[in-house]
Amino acid sequence: MRPVLLARGLKKAYPGRPAPVVAVDGVNLAVAAGEVLAFLGPNGAGKTTTIKMVAGLVRPDAGEVQIAGRDPHKDPGALAALGAVLEGNRNVYWRFTPLENLEYFGVLKGLSPFEARRRGLSLLKRFGLVEKKNALTQQLSRGMQQKLAIAVALVHRPRLLLLDEPTLGLDVEAAEQVKALVRELAADGQAILLTTHQLGVAQALADRVAIIRKGKIVAEDRTEALLQRFSGEHYVIELEGVLDEARKETLLSLGARVEDGRVLYWGDSEGLWRVLEALRPLPLRRLEKDRADLTEVFLRLVKEGGHA
Amino acid sequence: MLRLLAIEFKRSLLMLARYPMELFGQIVVITLIFYGLFLGARYIAGPTAQFGERLDALVVGYVLWTLVLFSIGQMSWGIMEEAREGTLEQVFLTQYGPVKVYLARNAAGLLINLGLNLIILLIIMALTGARVRLDPLALLPLFGVLLASYGVGFLLGAAALYFKRIQAFLQISQFVLMFLIMTPFEQLPGLFRLLGFVLPMAPGVGMMRGLMARGEAFDPALFMIALANGFFYLGLGLVLFSRMVRLVKQRGMLGGY
Repeated sequence: MRPVLLARGLKKAYPGRPAPVVAVDGVNLAVAAGEVLAFLGPNGAGKTTTIKMVAGLVRPDAGEVQIAGRDPHKDPGALAALGAVLEGNRNVYWRFTPLENLEYFGVLKGLSPFEARRRGLSLLKRFGLVEKKNALTQQLSRGMQQKLAIAVALVHRPRLLLLDEPTLGLDVEAAEQVKALVRELAADGQAILLTTHQLGVAQALADRVAIIRKGKIVAEDRTEALLQRFSGEHYVIELEGVLDEARKETLLSLGARVEDGRVLYWGDSEGLWRVLEALRPLPLRRLEKDRADLTEVFLRLVKEGGHA
Repeated sequence: MLRLLAIEFKRSLLMLARYPMELFGQIVVITLIFYGLFLGARYIAGPTAQFGERLDALVVGYVLWTLVLFSIGQMSWGIMEEAREGTLEQVFLTQYGPVKVYLARNAAGLLINLGLNLIILLIIMALTGARVRLDPLALLPLFGVLLASYGVGFLLGAAALYFKRIQAFLQISQFVLMFLIMTPFEQLPGLFRLLGFVLPMAPGVGMMRGLMARGEAFDPALFMIALANGFFYLGLGLVLFSRMVRLVKQRGMLGGY
Protein backbone atom coordinates (compact mmCIF):
# COMPACT_ATOMS: atom_id res chain seq x y z
CA MET A 1 0.00 0.00 0.00
CA ARG A 2 1.29 3.46 -0.88
CA PRO A 3 2.35 5.47 2.20
CA VAL A 4 0.34 8.57 3.05
CA LEU A 5 3.57 10.57 3.32
CA LEU A 6 6.49 9.93 1.06
CA ALA A 7 9.46 12.28 1.20
CA ARG A 8 12.44 11.49 -0.95
CA GLY A 9 15.91 13.01 -1.07
CA LEU A 10 14.97 16.21 0.77
CA LYS A 11 17.81 18.71 0.90
CA LYS A 12 17.93 22.19 2.30
CA ALA A 13 20.77 24.63 2.91
CA TYR A 14 20.42 28.15 4.29
CA PRO A 15 22.65 31.06 3.30
CA GLY A 16 25.63 31.42 5.62
CA ARG A 17 29.21 32.62 5.77
CA PRO A 18 31.69 31.44 4.68
CA ALA A 19 29.57 28.61 3.24
CA PRO A 20 25.85 27.77 3.19
CA VAL A 21 24.63 25.91 6.26
CA VAL A 22 23.32 22.48 5.33
CA ALA A 23 20.21 21.85 7.42
CA VAL A 24 18.86 18.74 5.73
CA ASP A 25 20.86 16.44 3.51
CA GLY A 26 19.04 13.72 1.63
CA VAL A 27 16.25 12.81 4.04
CA ASN A 28 13.77 10.09 3.09
CA LEU A 29 10.63 9.50 5.14
CA ALA A 30 7.53 7.38 4.71
CA VAL A 31 4.49 7.13 6.96
CA ALA A 32 1.62 4.74 6.30
CA ALA A 33 -2.00 5.04 7.38
CA GLY A 34 -2.44 4.11 11.03
CA GLU A 35 1.26 4.49 11.72
CA VAL A 36 3.08 6.82 14.11
CA LEU A 37 6.60 7.73 13.02
CA ALA A 38 8.66 9.48 15.69
CA PHE A 39 11.15 11.78 14.04
CA LEU A 40 13.85 12.47 16.59
CA GLY A 41 17.03 14.49 16.69
CA PRO A 42 18.92 17.01 18.79
CA ASN A 43 18.36 20.74 18.40
CA GLY A 44 19.61 21.97 15.05
CA ALA A 45 19.66 18.49 13.52
CA GLY A 46 17.16 19.41 10.79
CA LYS A 47 13.87 18.16 12.28
CA THR A 48 11.91 21.38 12.02
CA THR A 49 13.21 22.16 8.53
CA THR A 50 12.19 18.67 7.41
CA ILE A 51 8.73 18.98 8.99
CA LYS A 52 8.22 22.36 7.35
CA MET A 53 9.35 21.02 3.97
CA VAL A 54 6.78 18.24 4.38
CA ALA A 55 4.11 20.87 5.17
CA GLY A 56 5.07 23.03 2.19
CA LEU A 57 6.22 25.89 4.44
CA VAL A 58 9.90 25.63 3.47
CA ARG A 59 10.85 24.97 -0.13
CA PRO A 60 13.40 22.16 -0.49
CA ASP A 61 16.53 22.69 -2.60
CA ALA A 62 16.14 19.14 -3.88
CA GLY A 63 13.88 16.16 -3.37
CA GLU A 64 10.14 15.83 -3.32
CA VAL A 65 7.24 15.43 -0.93
CA GLN A 66 4.07 13.50 -1.66
CA ILE A 67 1.10 13.67 0.68
CA ALA A 68 -1.56 11.21 -0.44
CA GLY A 69 0.13 11.28 -3.84
CA ARG A 70 0.22 15.09 -4.23
CA ASP A 71 3.14 17.48 -3.84
CA PRO A 72 2.29 20.43 -1.54
CA HIS A 73 5.00 22.53 -3.19
CA LYS A 74 3.36 22.26 -6.61
CA ASP A 75 -0.27 21.56 -5.79
CA PRO A 76 -1.93 23.52 -2.94
CA GLY A 77 -4.72 20.93 -3.03
CA ALA A 78 -2.26 18.55 -1.34
CA LEU A 79 -2.77 20.54 1.85
CA ALA A 80 -6.30 19.12 2.06
CA ALA A 81 -4.67 15.89 3.22
CA LEU A 82 -2.49 17.59 5.85
CA GLY A 83 -3.11 18.81 9.37
CA ALA A 84 -0.32 20.27 11.47
CA VAL A 85 0.32 21.40 15.02
CA LEU A 86 3.60 23.30 14.96
CA GLU A 87 5.88 23.73 17.94
CA GLY A 88 6.29 27.15 19.51
CA ASN A 89 3.07 28.34 17.88
CA ARG A 90 -0.35 28.96 19.28
CA ASN A 91 -1.79 27.48 16.08
CA VAL A 92 -5.27 28.84 16.98
CA TYR A 93 -6.75 32.28 17.62
CA TRP A 94 -6.83 33.02 21.32
CA ARG A 95 -9.48 35.69 20.86
CA PHE A 96 -11.88 33.08 19.45
CA THR A 97 -13.74 30.33 21.25
CA PRO A 98 -12.82 26.70 20.47
CA LEU A 99 -15.92 26.31 18.28
CA GLU A 100 -15.19 29.55 16.38
CA ASN A 101 -11.62 28.36 15.74
CA LEU A 102 -12.88 25.03 14.42
CA GLU A 103 -15.47 26.71 12.18
CA TYR A 104 -12.98 29.26 10.85
CA PHE A 105 -10.16 26.85 10.07
CA GLY A 106 -12.64 24.23 8.84
CA VAL A 107 -13.86 26.62 6.14
CA LEU A 108 -10.30 27.70 5.32
CA LYS A 109 -9.51 24.04 4.82
CA GLY A 110 -12.35 23.49 2.39
CA LEU A 111 -15.41 22.55 4.48
CA SER A 112 -18.79 24.26 4.27
CA PRO A 113 -19.64 26.39 7.34
CA PHE A 114 -22.32 23.87 8.35
CA GLU A 115 -19.96 20.91 7.99
CA ALA A 116 -17.16 22.74 9.82
CA ARG A 117 -19.48 23.43 12.76
CA ARG A 118 -20.81 19.86 12.86
CA ARG A 119 -17.36 18.35 12.63
CA GLY A 120 -16.04 20.89 15.15
CA LEU A 121 -18.69 19.94 17.71
CA SER A 122 -17.98 16.25 17.23
CA LEU A 123 -14.22 16.83 17.76
CA LEU A 124 -14.87 18.95 20.86
CA LYS A 125 -16.97 16.09 22.27
CA ARG A 126 -14.32 13.53 21.46
CA PHE A 127 -11.54 15.64 22.98
CA GLY A 128 -13.52 16.43 26.14
CA LEU A 129 -13.78 20.12 25.33
CA VAL A 130 -17.46 20.45 24.54
CA GLU A 131 -18.20 22.27 27.80
CA LYS A 132 -15.60 24.85 26.84
CA LYS A 133 -16.90 25.36 23.31
CA ASN A 134 -17.95 28.96 23.99
CA ALA A 135 -15.11 29.97 26.35
CA LEU A 136 -12.36 32.21 24.99
CA THR A 137 -9.37 30.07 23.99
CA GLN A 138 -6.99 32.31 25.93
CA GLN A 139 -8.82 31.31 29.11
CA LEU A 140 -8.32 27.57 28.58
CA SER A 141 -5.55 25.57 30.27
CA ARG A 142 -2.38 24.84 28.27
CA GLY A 143 -3.45 21.21 27.89
CA MET A 144 -6.88 22.20 26.58
CA GLN A 145 -5.31 24.67 24.14
CA GLN A 146 -3.06 21.92 22.83
CA LYS A 147 -5.97 19.52 22.44
CA LEU A 148 -7.87 22.26 20.61
CA ALA A 149 -4.89 22.81 18.28
CA ILE A 150 -4.93 19.08 17.47
CA ALA A 151 -8.70 19.20 16.92
CA VAL A 152 -8.30 22.16 14.54
CA ALA A 153 -5.59 20.27 12.66
CA LEU A 154 -8.03 17.36 12.27
CA VAL A 155 -11.17 19.31 11.42
CA HIS A 156 -10.96 18.61 7.67
CA ARG A 157 -10.14 14.90 8.16
CA PRO A 158 -6.57 15.04 6.85
CA ARG A 159 -4.82 11.77 6.11
CA LEU A 160 -1.51 12.98 7.55
CA LEU A 161 -1.11 14.71 10.91
CA LEU A 162 2.15 16.49 11.78
CA LEU A 163 2.67 16.89 15.50
CA ASP A 164 5.70 18.96 16.42
CA GLU A 165 6.41 18.58 20.16
CA PRO A 166 2.74 17.94 21.07
CA THR A 167 3.41 17.38 24.79
CA LEU A 168 5.95 20.16 25.34
CA GLY A 169 5.08 22.33 28.33
CA LEU A 170 2.12 20.18 29.40
CA ASP A 171 1.68 18.84 32.92
CA VAL A 172 1.73 15.07 33.43
CA GLU A 173 -2.04 14.63 33.22
CA ALA A 174 -2.43 16.76 30.10
CA ALA A 175 0.53 15.02 28.45
CA GLU A 176 -1.05 11.62 29.18
CA GLN A 177 -4.34 12.83 27.63
CA VAL A 178 -2.55 13.98 24.48
CA LYS A 179 -0.67 10.67 24.29
CA ALA A 180 -3.92 8.73 24.62
CA LEU A 181 -5.40 10.88 21.89
CA VAL A 182 -2.50 10.19 19.54
CA ARG A 183 -2.87 6.44 20.17
CA GLU A 184 -6.60 6.64 19.42
CA LEU A 185 -6.06 8.61 16.23
CA ALA A 186 -3.47 6.13 14.96
CA ALA A 187 -5.81 3.25 15.80
CA ASP A 188 -8.44 4.98 13.64
CA GLY A 189 -6.05 4.91 10.68
CA GLN A 190 -4.48 8.37 10.95
CA ALA A 191 -0.89 8.63 9.66
CA ILE A 192 1.09 10.66 12.21
CA LEU A 193 4.55 12.19 11.95
CA LEU A 194 5.62 13.12 15.47
CA THR A 195 8.65 15.04 16.65
CA THR A 196 9.53 15.26 20.30
CA HIS A 197 12.46 15.67 22.63
CA GLN A 198 10.61 13.60 25.21
CA LEU A 199 11.92 10.19 24.25
CA GLY A 200 9.60 8.41 26.67
CA VAL A 201 6.68 9.86 24.70
CA ALA A 202 8.20 8.69 21.44
CA GLN A 203 8.84 5.20 22.79
CA ALA A 204 5.30 4.95 24.11
CA LEU A 205 3.64 6.11 20.88
CA ALA A 206 5.81 5.34 17.88
CA ASP A 207 5.48 2.32 15.64
CA ARG A 208 8.65 3.41 13.92
CA VAL A 209 11.48 5.77 14.77
CA ALA A 210 13.72 7.85 12.51
CA ILE A 211 16.67 9.67 14.07
CA ILE A 212 18.26 12.61 12.30
CA ARG A 213 21.72 13.96 13.05
CA LYS A 214 23.41 16.83 11.22
CA GLY A 215 20.77 16.71 8.49
CA LYS A 216 21.04 13.00 7.77
CA ILE A 217 18.95 10.09 8.98
CA VAL A 218 21.24 7.90 11.07
CA ALA A 219 18.67 5.28 12.05
CA GLU A 220 15.23 4.28 10.90
CA ASP A 221 13.41 1.16 11.96
CA ARG A 222 10.46 -0.22 13.82
CA THR A 223 10.70 0.94 17.44
CA GLU A 224 10.90 -2.59 18.84
CA ALA A 225 13.57 -3.67 16.34
CA LEU A 226 15.66 -0.59 17.09
CA LEU A 227 15.46 -1.17 20.85
CA GLN A 228 16.29 -4.82 20.34
CA ARG A 229 19.31 -3.95 18.24
CA PHE A 230 20.74 -1.76 20.95
CA SER A 231 19.85 -4.06 23.82
CA GLY A 232 22.58 -6.28 25.28
CA GLU A 233 22.57 -10.07 25.52
CA HIS A 234 23.39 -10.04 29.23
CA TYR A 235 21.49 -10.18 32.49
CA VAL A 236 21.81 -7.48 35.13
CA ILE A 237 21.47 -8.41 38.82
CA GLU A 238 21.34 -5.70 41.46
CA LEU A 239 21.84 -6.66 45.10
CA GLU A 240 20.79 -5.10 48.38
CA GLY A 241 23.94 -6.12 50.23
CA VAL A 242 27.71 -6.13 49.55
CA LEU A 243 29.45 -9.03 47.83
CA ASP A 244 32.21 -10.74 49.74
CA GLU A 245 35.46 -11.73 48.01
CA ALA A 246 34.67 -15.46 48.05
CA ARG A 247 31.42 -14.88 46.16
CA LYS A 248 33.15 -12.62 43.70
CA GLU A 249 35.61 -15.44 42.94
CA THR A 250 32.77 -17.90 42.44
CA LEU A 251 30.91 -15.49 40.16
CA LEU A 252 34.01 -14.92 38.05
CA SER A 253 34.46 -18.66 37.68
CA LEU A 254 30.85 -18.88 36.41
CA GLY A 255 31.55 -16.23 33.75
CA ALA A 256 29.87 -13.28 35.51
CA ARG A 257 31.36 -9.82 36.02
CA VAL A 258 30.92 -7.48 38.94
CA GLU A 259 30.68 -3.80 38.05
CA ASP A 260 29.57 -0.94 40.30
CA GLY A 261 27.95 -3.34 42.73
CA ARG A 262 25.99 -5.01 39.93
CA VAL A 263 26.47 -8.50 38.61
CA LEU A 264 26.47 -8.83 34.83
CA TYR A 265 26.11 -12.27 33.29
CA TRP A 266 26.40 -13.32 29.66
CA GLY A 267 25.02 -16.78 29.12
CA ASP A 268 21.92 -18.97 29.00
CA SER A 269 19.25 -19.38 31.68
CA GLU A 270 20.88 -22.55 33.08
CA GLY A 271 24.00 -20.57 33.81
CA LEU A 272 21.91 -17.73 35.24
CA TRP A 273 20.43 -20.12 37.81
CA ARG A 274 23.95 -21.16 38.81
CA VAL A 275 24.84 -17.49 39.32
CA LEU A 276 21.71 -17.01 41.43
CA GLU A 277 22.63 -20.06 43.53
CA ALA A 278 26.04 -18.50 44.16
CA LEU A 279 24.34 -15.34 45.36
CA ARG A 280 21.93 -17.10 47.73
CA PRO A 281 20.87 -15.91 50.35
CA LEU A 282 21.77 -12.28 49.56
CA PRO A 283 18.66 -10.17 49.00
CA LEU A 284 18.15 -9.16 45.34
CA ARG A 285 16.88 -5.75 44.35
CA ARG A 286 16.42 -6.31 40.62
CA LEU A 287 17.04 -8.93 37.98
CA GLU A 288 16.47 -8.21 34.31
CA LYS A 289 17.79 -8.87 30.87
CA ASP A 290 19.51 -5.76 29.56
CA ARG A 291 17.11 -3.76 27.40
CA ALA A 292 17.92 -0.44 25.83
CA ASP A 293 15.38 2.33 25.97
CA LEU A 294 14.98 4.98 23.33
CA THR A 295 17.04 7.45 25.35
CA GLU A 296 20.05 5.12 25.27
CA VAL A 297 19.59 4.44 21.57
CA PHE A 298 19.24 8.14 20.87
CA LEU A 299 22.28 9.11 22.89
CA ARG A 300 24.45 6.43 21.33
CA LEU A 301 23.43 7.40 17.83
CA VAL A 302 23.47 11.13 18.31
CA LYS A 303 26.23 11.79 20.82
CA GLU A 304 28.60 9.09 19.63
CA GLY A 305 27.85 9.66 15.97
CA GLY A 306 27.01 6.03 15.35
CA HIS A 307 24.83 4.57 12.60
CA ALA A 308 22.24 1.83 12.78
CA MET B 1 -14.35 31.81 -2.68
CA LEU B 2 -17.75 33.05 -1.38
CA ARG B 3 -17.40 30.73 1.61
CA LEU B 4 -13.98 32.22 2.30
CA LEU B 5 -15.36 35.73 2.05
CA ALA B 6 -18.25 34.90 4.39
CA ILE B 7 -16.04 33.30 7.05
CA GLU B 8 -13.56 36.20 6.85
CA PHE B 9 -16.44 38.63 7.32
CA LYS B 10 -17.52 36.67 10.38
CA ARG B 11 -13.90 36.72 11.62
CA SER B 12 -13.72 40.52 11.23
CA LEU B 13 -16.98 40.97 13.15
CA LEU B 14 -15.83 38.63 15.91
CA MET B 15 -12.55 40.51 16.27
CA LEU B 16 -14.51 43.75 16.46
CA ALA B 17 -16.99 42.35 18.97
CA ARG B 18 -14.23 41.03 21.27
CA TYR B 19 -12.58 44.42 21.64
CA PRO B 20 -15.22 47.17 21.14
CA MET B 21 -13.27 49.69 23.22
CA GLU B 22 -10.38 49.47 20.76
CA LEU B 23 -12.72 50.62 17.99
CA PHE B 24 -14.32 53.32 20.11
CA GLY B 25 -10.87 54.65 21.06
CA GLN B 26 -9.82 54.80 17.41
CA ILE B 27 -12.88 56.82 16.43
CA VAL B 28 -12.39 59.27 19.30
CA VAL B 29 -8.65 59.77 18.68
CA ILE B 30 -8.99 60.19 14.91
CA THR B 31 -11.81 62.68 15.31
CA LEU B 32 -10.05 64.65 18.02
CA ILE B 33 -6.84 64.94 15.99
CA PHE B 34 -8.75 66.57 13.15
CA TYR B 35 -10.72 68.80 15.49
CA GLY B 36 -7.46 69.90 17.13
CA LEU B 37 -6.00 70.77 13.72
CA PHE B 38 -9.18 72.64 12.82
CA LEU B 39 -9.15 74.68 16.02
CA GLY B 40 -5.46 75.48 15.48
CA ALA B 41 -6.11 76.67 11.93
CA ARG B 42 -9.06 78.81 13.07
CA TYR B 43 -6.93 80.37 15.82
CA ILE B 44 -4.28 81.35 13.27
CA ALA B 45 -6.82 82.63 10.73
CA GLY B 46 -8.93 84.51 13.29
CA PRO B 47 -12.50 83.96 14.55
CA THR B 48 -14.17 85.42 11.49
CA ALA B 49 -12.31 83.25 8.96
CA GLN B 50 -14.44 81.22 6.56
CA PHE B 51 -12.69 78.13 5.17
CA GLY B 52 -15.48 77.22 2.73
CA GLU B 53 -14.70 74.52 0.18
CA ARG B 54 -11.08 74.32 1.36
CA LEU B 55 -12.25 72.93 4.69
CA ASP B 56 -14.57 70.54 2.86
CA ALA B 57 -11.65 69.35 0.70
CA LEU B 58 -9.53 68.91 3.82
CA VAL B 59 -12.26 66.86 5.51
CA VAL B 60 -12.58 64.61 2.44
CA GLY B 61 -8.80 64.16 2.35
CA TYR B 62 -8.55 63.47 6.08
CA VAL B 63 -11.34 60.89 6.15
CA LEU B 64 -9.92 59.21 3.06
CA TRP B 65 -6.53 59.17 4.76
CA THR B 66 -7.96 57.34 7.79
CA LEU B 67 -9.86 54.95 5.49
CA VAL B 68 -6.66 54.18 3.58
CA LEU B 69 -4.71 53.80 6.83
CA PHE B 70 -7.18 51.17 8.00
CA SER B 71 -7.18 49.39 4.63
CA ILE B 72 -3.40 49.32 4.36
CA GLY B 73 -2.62 48.69 8.00
CA GLN B 74 -5.10 45.86 8.36
CA MET B 75 -2.86 43.50 6.41
CA SER B 76 0.65 44.46 7.54
CA TRP B 77 -0.28 44.78 11.23
CA GLY B 78 -2.24 41.54 10.87
CA ILE B 79 0.74 39.66 9.45
CA MET B 80 3.05 40.95 12.19
CA GLU B 81 0.53 40.02 14.87
CA GLU B 82 0.00 36.55 13.43
CA ALA B 83 3.76 35.95 13.10
CA ARG B 84 4.18 36.97 16.75
CA GLU B 85 1.24 34.94 18.02
CA GLY B 86 1.97 31.87 15.93
CA THR B 87 -1.04 31.56 13.65
CA LEU B 88 0.60 32.81 10.44
CA GLU B 89 1.80 29.37 9.37
CA GLN B 90 -1.70 27.94 9.80
CA VAL B 91 -2.96 30.53 7.29
CA PHE B 92 -0.30 29.31 4.87
CA LEU B 93 -1.35 25.70 5.45
CA THR B 94 -4.81 26.25 3.95
CA GLN B 95 -5.67 25.23 0.42
CA TYR B 96 -6.61 28.81 -0.48
CA GLY B 97 -3.11 30.06 0.28
CA PRO B 98 -2.11 33.42 1.76
CA VAL B 99 -2.93 35.61 -1.27
CA LYS B 100 -6.58 34.56 -1.45
CA VAL B 101 -7.00 34.57 2.34
CA TYR B 102 -5.64 38.13 2.63
CA LEU B 103 -7.66 39.31 -0.37
CA ALA B 104 -10.78 37.93 1.31
CA ARG B 105 -9.79 39.53 4.63
CA ASN B 106 -9.36 42.90 2.92
CA ALA B 107 -12.71 42.61 1.19
CA ALA B 108 -14.41 41.46 4.40
CA GLY B 109 -12.88 44.31 6.38
CA LEU B 110 -14.02 46.86 3.80
CA LEU B 111 -17.63 47.18 4.99
CA ILE B 112 -16.49 47.67 8.57
CA ASN B 113 -13.89 50.22 7.48
CA LEU B 114 -16.43 52.13 5.41
CA GLY B 115 -18.90 52.21 8.29
CA LEU B 116 -16.23 53.35 10.71
CA ASN B 117 -15.06 56.14 8.43
CA LEU B 118 -18.60 57.27 7.70
CA ILE B 119 -19.07 57.73 11.45
CA ILE B 120 -15.81 59.70 11.64
CA LEU B 121 -16.91 61.85 8.68
CA LEU B 122 -20.29 62.64 10.23
CA ILE B 123 -18.75 63.56 13.60
CA ILE B 124 -16.16 65.83 11.94
CA MET B 125 -18.87 67.50 9.83
CA ALA B 126 -20.92 68.12 12.98
CA LEU B 127 -17.94 69.54 14.88
CA THR B 128 -16.49 71.76 12.17
CA GLY B 129 -19.56 72.73 10.17
CA ALA B 130 -17.98 71.34 6.98
CA ARG B 131 -20.55 70.46 4.33
CA VAL B 132 -19.35 67.51 2.30
CA ARG B 133 -21.66 66.25 -0.43
CA LEU B 134 -22.24 62.51 0.07
CA ASP B 135 -22.47 61.94 -3.68
CA PRO B 136 -23.10 58.28 -4.71
CA LEU B 137 -20.96 58.95 -7.81
CA ALA B 138 -18.01 59.48 -5.46
CA LEU B 139 -18.17 55.76 -4.70
CA LEU B 140 -16.78 55.09 -8.19
CA PRO B 141 -13.38 56.80 -7.70
CA LEU B 142 -13.42 55.48 -4.11
CA PHE B 143 -13.32 52.01 -5.65
CA GLY B 144 -10.08 52.98 -7.44
CA VAL B 145 -8.65 54.42 -4.21
CA LEU B 146 -9.45 51.23 -2.30
CA LEU B 147 -7.92 49.00 -4.99
CA ALA B 148 -4.70 51.01 -4.87
CA SER B 149 -4.71 51.06 -1.06
CA TYR B 150 -5.02 47.28 -0.96
CA GLY B 151 -2.16 47.12 -3.45
CA VAL B 152 -0.02 49.23 -1.10
CA GLY B 153 -1.29 47.01 1.74
CA PHE B 154 0.04 43.93 -0.08
CA LEU B 155 3.39 45.71 -0.63
CA LEU B 156 3.70 46.51 3.08
CA GLY B 157 2.39 43.02 3.87
CA ALA B 158 5.25 41.60 1.80
CA ALA B 159 7.70 43.67 3.85
CA ALA B 160 6.05 42.45 7.09
CA LEU B 161 6.34 38.86 5.88
CA TYR B 162 10.06 39.23 5.30
CA PHE B 163 11.17 41.52 8.12
CA LYS B 164 8.43 40.60 10.64
CA ARG B 165 8.98 43.81 12.65
CA ILE B 166 8.22 46.91 10.62
CA GLN B 167 6.25 48.86 13.19
CA ALA B 168 8.51 51.92 12.96
CA PHE B 169 8.33 51.88 9.17
CA LEU B 170 4.55 51.62 9.27
CA GLN B 171 4.33 54.58 11.63
CA ILE B 172 6.39 56.72 9.26
CA SER B 173 4.49 55.49 6.22
CA GLN B 174 1.35 57.07 7.70
CA PHE B 175 2.85 60.49 7.00
CA VAL B 176 3.87 59.48 3.47
CA LEU B 177 0.27 58.45 2.92
CA MET B 178 -0.91 61.72 4.37
CA PHE B 179 1.23 63.54 1.81
CA LEU B 180 -0.18 61.36 -0.99
CA ILE B 181 -3.78 61.88 0.01
CA MET B 182 -3.94 65.39 1.42
CA THR B 183 -1.90 67.06 -1.35
CA PRO B 184 -4.30 68.48 -3.98
CA PHE B 185 -2.20 67.31 -6.95
CA GLU B 186 -5.22 67.89 -9.22
CA GLN B 187 -4.95 71.64 -8.62
CA LEU B 188 -1.16 71.91 -8.88
CA PRO B 189 0.66 72.84 -12.06
CA GLY B 190 3.05 70.89 -14.32
CA LEU B 191 4.91 67.90 -12.95
CA PHE B 192 2.85 67.83 -9.75
CA ARG B 193 -0.32 67.49 -11.78
CA LEU B 194 1.28 64.53 -13.57
CA LEU B 195 2.28 62.98 -10.26
CA GLY B 196 -1.38 63.19 -9.30
CA PHE B 197 -2.12 60.63 -12.02
CA VAL B 198 0.63 58.11 -11.25
CA LEU B 199 1.10 58.09 -7.48
CA PRO B 200 -0.94 55.41 -5.72
CA MET B 201 -4.50 56.51 -4.90
CA ALA B 202 -3.83 60.13 -5.91
CA PRO B 203 -6.14 60.37 -8.97
CA GLY B 204 -9.10 58.79 -7.17
CA VAL B 205 -8.64 61.00 -4.12
CA GLY B 206 -8.35 64.12 -6.31
CA MET B 207 -11.52 63.18 -8.14
CA MET B 208 -13.37 62.62 -4.87
CA ARG B 209 -12.27 66.01 -3.59
CA GLY B 210 -13.65 67.54 -6.80
CA LEU B 211 -16.97 65.69 -6.50
CA MET B 212 -17.56 66.00 -2.77
CA ALA B 213 -15.97 69.33 -1.84
CA ARG B 214 -15.79 71.50 -4.95
CA GLY B 215 -19.05 70.35 -6.53
CA GLU B 216 -17.39 69.39 -9.82
CA ALA B 217 -19.10 67.18 -12.40
CA PHE B 218 -18.19 63.52 -12.81
CA ASP B 219 -15.34 63.14 -15.32
CA PRO B 220 -15.37 59.65 -16.93
CA ALA B 221 -11.79 60.04 -18.26
CA LEU B 222 -10.48 60.87 -14.80
CA PHE B 223 -12.44 57.96 -13.39
CA MET B 224 -10.76 55.60 -15.86
CA ILE B 225 -7.37 56.94 -14.75
CA ALA B 226 -8.31 56.41 -11.08
CA LEU B 227 -9.46 52.88 -11.86
CA ALA B 228 -6.32 52.07 -13.88
CA ASN B 229 -4.20 53.47 -11.05
CA GLY B 230 -6.05 51.21 -8.58
CA PHE B 231 -5.69 48.07 -10.68
CA PHE B 232 -2.03 48.82 -11.39
CA TYR B 233 -1.06 49.12 -7.72
CA LEU B 234 -3.22 46.17 -6.68
CA GLY B 235 -1.57 44.05 -9.38
CA LEU B 236 1.88 45.24 -8.34
CA GLY B 237 1.13 44.48 -4.69
CA LEU B 238 -0.19 41.01 -5.49
CA VAL B 239 2.79 40.13 -7.69
CA LEU B 240 5.35 41.31 -5.13
CA PHE B 241 3.49 39.67 -2.24
CA SER B 242 3.37 36.35 -4.12
CA ARG B 243 7.10 36.62 -4.85
CA MET B 244 7.79 37.37 -1.21
CA VAL B 245 5.80 34.29 -0.19
CA ARG B 246 8.09 32.23 -2.44
CA LEU B 247 11.17 33.94 -1.04
CA VAL B 248 10.30 33.41 2.63
CA LYS B 249 9.53 29.77 1.87
CA GLN B 250 12.83 29.50 0.05
CA ARG B 251 14.72 30.99 2.99
CA GLY B 252 12.66 29.25 5.67
CA MET B 253 11.70 32.54 7.26
CA LEU B 254 7.97 32.14 7.55
CA GLY B 255 7.64 31.25 11.22
CA GLY B 256 10.42 33.35 12.70
CA TYR B 257 9.72 36.54 14.55
